[in-house]
Amino acid sequence: MESNNSLQTELKRVKQELAGYRIELHQTRGYLQCILQSSEDIIFATEVDGMLISFSKGGEKVLGYTWEELAGRDIKDLAENPLLFQEFISSSLQGGVTTHLDLPFRHKEGGSIYCNVTLINLTNREGQRVGTVGVCRDITLWKKLQEDLVRIDRLAEIGRLAAGVAHEINNPLAIIGEASGWAGAVIDDAEGLTPEDRSELEKAVKGISEQTKRCRNITHQLLDFARRSAPEKTEFDVHTLLKESVGFLKSEVKHTSIEIDFDFMPGPLLMHSDPRLLEQVFVNFITNAIHAINKDGKNKGRIEIQTRRTDSKVEISFTDNGIGIPPENQQKIFELFYTTKPPGKGTGLGLPICQNIIKKIGGEISFHSEVGVGTSFTISIPLS
Amino acid sequence: MTDQPTIRILLVDDEETLLEFLSKRLLKQGYTVKATFSGEEAVKVAKDEQFDVAVVDLKMPGIDGVETQKRLRQMQPFLQCIVLTGHGSIETALESGQQEAFQYLLKPVDYDNLIISIQKAYDKKMKLQYQEFKEKVAEISTSGMGAHGIKKAIGELHKIYGIE
Repeated sequence: MESNNSLQTELKRVKQELAGYRIELHQTRGYLQCILQSSEDIIFATEVDGMLISFSKGGEKVLGYTWEELAGRDIKDLAENPLLFQEFISSSLQGGVTTHLDLPFRHKEGGSIYCNVTLINLTNREGQRVGTVGVCRDITLWKKLQEDLVRIDRLAEIGRLAAGVAHEINNPLAIIGEASGWAGAVIDDAEGLTPEDRSELEKAVKGISEQTKRCRNITHQLLDFARRSAPEKTEFDVHTLLKESVGFLKSEVKHTSIEIDFDFMPGPLLMHSDPRLLEQVFVNFITNAIHAINKDGKNKGRIEIQTRRTDSKVEISFTDNGIGIPPENQQKIFELFYTTKPPGKGTGLGLPICQNIIKKIGGEISFHSEVGVGTSFTISIPLS
Repeated sequence: MTDQPTIRILLVDDEETLLEFLSKRLLKQGYTVKATFSGEEAVKVAKDEQFDVAVVDLKMPGIDGVETQKRLRQMQPFLQCIVLTGHGSIETALESGQQEAFQYLLKPVDYDNLIISIQKAYDKKMKLQYQEFKEKVAEISTSGMGAHGIKKAIGELHKIYGIE
């Protein structure tokens, strides 16, 4: 009877203890649930073989998946480089210590999500490994900012270097120009030259003068890059300038089927502005059009350059039948460093510089684009 | 160039080789040219000789182009200065509030553009000079001087302004 009593007491005690544990367990679960639901990080747990058994809400948001799509999948398949991720997991498991690493995951819709990944071994009471817990913070934006900063720094450095070199070259260049000009004047007056020799000498001197001008344009553009100078004002014919700009890009168009058509107003179109800056803008727009067509892989590429004149303005449009700009990217095209070209191919500076120049000479840029149809850029600049 | 009075040009640049060729070209075209290789030298030369247009390099050892043109104009107020600058220094020159130059041109300057600028600078100089000459003449005429005095004063003005 007595042992029965003590048994009863013992049972009661155990029951109470159990109830306490249950409450504790409930609280812990609630606590964990709260973390998993509200954290913006990817928090996951896997079996030993990498099979996912839990995935945080934040993780669903970051990678674009729902838990239903992920349950039972191998965590490494979410990484951009599954092999590398597998290696990382294996190595982290050997020492049994927590490890950190920056690794890219792949978003469901494509695109890399850079994460700072922390892996922790999940062990049972016997100290055996039963799985892995990972906490991954999305650092994509931070990483991009860091890369942008490095790029801006590098560009500024290149700019300074280029400006320094260009500046030094300008003086000898000026002397070459004057010397060849003088030589030309001497040849004009020289007596006793055979007509053949005279024409050869004139040709040679003209060559030196033209190439000096070309070098000067390059040094000025380099210096432009480092520091924008105030626009110059001279009278020039827009049509000639447009044709010259197209001429610069001959080699780009040579092995393609791209046709460049001019739809000009009759006669020359004289205006008062900075031809050197405008030429830079023209070359940039035509280059972009060529790239848009090449990207599209169309057999019949066509670029149309049109001019119109109103009372006080000149309108020039560049229309291509290239790949077009998707609506979601249209807002970004004038952003500094925005580019759709692979790294190293595009700087993302072309259009911002163009916009800067056009603003500087008091004009405006507008554009219209449809995916698969093409893009048309129009610049409108005051006549003087 | 033959039917107009020759334009007197003062060149100031420490690049001697550049000035050598530039002067030869300008001389051949009928301009009167004096080449100087520093701001100090230019100022010295301008004490004794009159010029219409000065072409001044901005960056020189000693006094720079902005200071040189300032001193030149103190001596010869109608002298027009064309300042040649390296890139970017145009803004520096303008920012420092010293906009007295007739024009700033980027180096290396295109010869044909330089000739156009020199011609325009000369036209401006003549216009300003003639305007002030006329004002002075009007002043003297209404000053109440006797006919003889007026004639003499105007004769002096002709000399000062170089107007025949």
